[in-house]
Amino acid sequence: MSDKKIGNLKMEKQKNNIENKIMDKVLSGEVKMKPKWYFIMGSITSFVGLVGMIIGAIFLTNLTFFFIRKQGPGTGRINVMLDSFPLWVPILAIALVILGIWMLKKYDFSYKKNFVVVAIVVVIAIILSALIIDLLGLNEQWAKRGPMRRFYMEDSNYRVQPLHRPMNRR
Amino acid sequence: MENIETKTDEEIVELIRNENKELYGQIIKRYQDKLIRYAEYIIGDHDKASDAVQESFIKAYINLNGFDVKKKFSSWIYRIVHNEAINLIDKNKKIVKLDPDIDFDSGVNIEDSYIKEELVSRAHNCLETMDINYREPLSLYYIENKSYEEISDILRIPMGTVAVRINRAKIILKKICQTKK
Repeated sequence: MSDKKIGNLKMEKQKNNIENKIMDKVLSGEVKMKPKWYFIMGSITSFVGLVGMIIGAIFLTNLTFFFIRKQGPGTGRINVMLDSFPLWVPILAIALVILGIWMLKKYDFSYKKNFVVVAIVVVIAIILSALIIDLLGLNEQWAKRGPMRRFYMEDSNYRVQPLHRPMNRR
Repeated sequence: MENIETKTDEEIVELIRNENKELYGQIIKRYQDKLIRYAEYIIGDHDKASDAVQESFIKAYINLNGFDVKKKFSSWIYRIVHNEAINLIDKNKKIVKLDPDIDFDSGVNIEDSYIKEELVSRAHNCLETMDINYREPLSLYYIENKSYEEISDILRIPMGTVAVRINRAKIILKKICQTKK
């Protein structure tokens, strides 16, 4: 028998072997399909996670704008501002944006489009949304009442001290 | 019962999920040759390619309910084999890398028939030294006859990138094969 024939027979045997091995596992129940709900839950969870992350990023970006506006980044006050500014807010906002973009990458469209453009659009959309909330004054209302008040009350922890104290005070 | 041979992959998948898991054997029959050949082009070793394909079929079965039947099953299963093969390569780290940014003369006109002939006849010798970024789309296009869109779905890269890689791969392949003559 020629080498080629022996090779072909060997390959044929290997093929049958693969099929038999897999089908044995499938039919014996050793290998089982994950149920449909597992994938449905996975999709829902990742979608809710993505939306939550984007909403969280918008909120925290807006909170950053709110604090900056309240405190005012005036000349000479930047050091005071940095000392007392709740830095966790912008850091968490950036972390959420990065995480959100990473999650977006899991979706099918991400490799069909120019993903850099998609990421830039997401970042711009988050900043714009935060600015719009700020311009509409929604955060002012949230700071006065409602469940989000405590976030905006963070402001009181780092209130800027006046640079020039009244002379007659000790 | 209708003849199973005439059914599409997606229809068979629907049947496996809902009625008859024995039909998975039909899917294996349809794809194992092509997938082993594809994996062999990535890994460069027939036995390891067979192992990767076997593992891929098992993973595909476990995740069959996650497959969207509106999409192409072939792209989905090729993607699983791609991932499995890449994992194997990462474990073994035996690939000879070429700098993907090497500037080749893109003005060279290469006949497709020449490329196909080269791939089929002396493919292993020439392809082994080619970077996987080029080797994979080239084998998918010429050996597996996949469209740019399918390759884009399998490798998860934009179609424009697929076109660029195939064009570069043709030039690289010609250079490698000519050097080896």
